[in-house]
Amino acid sequence: MSLSPRRSTVACTVTLAAGLALTACGGGSPNDSSSTTAGATASGAAPVSQGASQVNITLTNDGDADTCEIDHPSAKAGAVTFTVINKSATAITEVELQSNQRIIGEKENLAPGLAPVKFTATLTGGTYQVYCPGAKQAMQDFSVTGQATGPTAGSVQAVLAKGTSGYGVYVAGVIGDMGTAVTTLKKAVDSGNVADAKAKYALARPFYEKIESDVDGFVLPGSDPTSNKGNLDYLIDMRGSNLDPEVGWHGFHAIERDLWKNGKITAGTKKQAAALQTDVKTLGKLSEGLTYKPEDLANGAAGLLEEVQTTKIKGEEEAFSHLDLVDFEANVEGAQQAFAFLKPGLTEIDPTLTKTVTAQFKVVERLLDKYRDPSKPGGLVAWTPELRQADAPMLSKSVQGLQDPLSRMAEKVATAQ
Amino acid sequence: MTDNLDPQQQAGLDRRRLLQGAAGGLLAGGALAGAATAYASSSSHSSSDAARSDKDTVDLSRTHPFYDQPHPAGISTPPQRHALFMTFDLVDRATRSDLQVLLARWSAAIAQLAKGRTIGAVQPARAGAVGADTGEAAGLDPAGLTVTVGLGSSIFDKRFGLEHRRPALLEELPDLPSDQIQPSLSGGDLSVQACADDPQVAYHAVRNLARMVRGTAETGWTVMGFGRASAGPGQETPRNLMGFKDGTRNISTPDDYDHFVWVTDDGWMSGGTYQVVRKIQMNLEIWDADDIADQQNIFGRTKSAGAPLTGHREMDTPDFHATGKDGKPAIPGTAHIALAAHENNGGTKILRRAYNYTDGINKYGQLDAGLLMIIYANDPDHFVKIQRRLGASDRLNEYIQHIGSGLWAIPPAPRSGHFIAEDLFI
Repeated sequence: MSLSPRRSTVACTVTLAAGLALTACGGGSPNDSSSTTAGATASGAAPVSQGASQVNITLTNDGDADTCEIDHPSAKAGAVTFTVINKSATAITEVELQSNQRIIGEKENLAPGLAPVKFTATLTGGTYQVYCPGAKQAMQDFSVTGQATGPTAGSVQAVLAKGTSGYGVYVAGVIGDMGTAVTTLKKAVDSGNVADAKAKYALARPFYEKIESDVDGFVLPGSDPTSNKGNLDYLIDMRGSNLDPEVGWHGFHAIERDLWKNGKITAGTKKQAAALQTDVKTLGKLSEGLTYKPEDLANGAAGLLEEVQTTKIKGEEEAFSHLDLVDFEANVEGAQQAFAFLKPGLTEIDPTLTKTVTAQFKVVERLLDKYRDPSKPGGLVAWTPELRQADAPMLSKSVQGLQDPLSRMAEKVATAQ
Repeated sequence: MTDNLDPQQQAGLDRRRLLQGAAGGLLAGGALAGAATAYASSSSHSSSDAARSDKDTVDLSRTHPFYDQPHPAGISTPPQRHALFMTFDLVDRATRSDLQVLLARWSAAIAQLAKGRTIGAVQPARAGAVGADTGEAAGLDPAGLTVTVGLGSSIFDKRFGLEHRRPALLEELPDLPSDQIQPSLSGGDLSVQACADDPQVAYHAVRNLARMVRGTAETGWTVMGFGRASAGPGQETPRNLMGFKDGTRNISTPDDYDHFVWVTDDGWMSGGTYQVVRKIQMNLEIWDADDIADQQNIFGRTKSAGAPLTGHREMDTPDFHATGKDGKPAIPGTAHIALAAHENNGGTKILRRAYNYTDGINKYGQLDAGLLMIIYANDPDHFVKIQRRLGASDRLNEYIQHIGSGLWAIPPAPRSGHFIAEDLFI
């Protein structure tokens, strides 16, 4: 097992001016090694071996409650390797190393019978906490003496901040492109050519779907926030399934209904296309200068996948054109962008989760590849009721396999401040 | 530093324990003292006590131990009132290590759930955190929950390097007469049978097991049993949806369990068994229109008392040689009990642990309901032999269809500190 400490520091606020670096090492496959937990005696600083202080955390059940025992309550500054073994504690599934409620390192999926797992952090002097949720004593202090030498460049917070500003640029770009595509759609509608309008509709759809979770909260200036009349998300992206009769049909799906269900462009269609262009312009103005916190990206990504589950897979979004897979792909791409901007920071915090989310994105993308067809509008086959009936459960399960780990990201990036 | 304990979690545990304590008629002192006593009291309801005391009373504070038992829970355990059965399939990319983690996490979670505890925080302390437990059983009693995990023949392949560890008798079931098995209700890499006296407790257990393995294993098919249709020792024989007592002569003695249910001398499988699951749909409207004499001839028993047509009381031994006044057998040879009887199957018995189920109303506007038949046997061929006869000539076939089916190996109960089927990976 090779240890390759990353070059990173976390700025700590209260008790320590920190320099810490973190790397996680898989514990190898279960059962592949004998336990490395030494006789646990809670005395003095942890012994150093292979350049790192060695601390064992042992999880046991004492007959009723689960306990989390740390064999050495302190270590010298520098690399510290925590080896976690769950001997019999059924209530404890994870162990975290924290500093002022920030997660510095952790191991999840702990259960009795599995081989020990390790993680290593480079710690400087100060007080840390070992958090074992589910244990009788869940939080225990761990102290580090001295100053860590070595690399202390760039904090997780700074890495994440760089990601969020990059994401802001991405969102602004998508909103700009949406304006262009909606203008093109309006021109096609105005020309009265249904086939051309359909093609331009398919091209305009993905932009909103990529960033929907960032911009779905805007209301027109001066309007009642509880009414759909001024709700920009409603005006741009309402569907038949969430129709508010008081406000009526608007936006993309009103145009979709005219083009596919009615098969013709009327004066009403042209009015809707013009209104859509105006509303998208307003959205662009309102979203200028938006800034994001790391958890906004994480929650936004999870929100986009929720959109996939609730409206795309069910075929509710594009009820007339059956372009749901085009929107599906856009939702996934938007989520992936948000994740990509978080990834450098998240990797420092939780490399296992980062790896899981990366792998699950690949699974979903590969599934989507099955439906690609360049000759179809938007490049994906129509999500017809027949196809939906056959494939929806499989797609839904795969998206859920991505959404679950993704929904755990917000907590991790939010605490890395 | 107990003040650092996740406050919600602590509150949740205390509440649960007080409820348990109250149910057991105990005084809970301080929170932790109360916890200890309440737990001790729950443990004292062993399954053998339960077996003797149970008729139709339900003690929701009852618990059944998960670890260190001679046999897995949920098989000889007196049948609880409700069941949720679900199958799972590992995703294509799942590895041997994923399967180990899955079985280890499930084992730890089942141990928690069987004590009536959550599997983690319902309301985490950090605002951005997602709850580890979904929460719908928080504050509910353990309700005698047992969760029994089975391994399908499909996991013993190259994906997990287990092709040489396949249990001796684990194969796909053969096609049987009258089978109308739907592919979507067939087989699965893993099976989970959760039984409890509170349906919400059973549902919570399976839902959370499914949730914790998402990305590794996907749900296959499921049947929710709303009322037990088999009796354990000391329990009165319940009725199936046809209104009949079925399974009167179910396996009940330790000798029969040893002889017909538990696997012995088969390495890591010793102490375990095999599980056959059949989802049996009933044509209830048609059955309800059948006259009583015909219904009784089909089962071979009377409807009210459940007595064999050659006796007066339920427990009377049927006489398959007796003839009626017309000179014909008093119990027709094609009666359900005649075909299923061990006397007519070379002495073979199978353990039945069935539940009634309903899926609502079918597309023809008829009641969609039937029997979730769960069978345990130390040789799946015992079921196959009996079902061949039943499928070929049981008069019940006019009113039922077997639409779901699967066979799983049930590993022995894990020792404390270990997980289900851990020895399989050594």
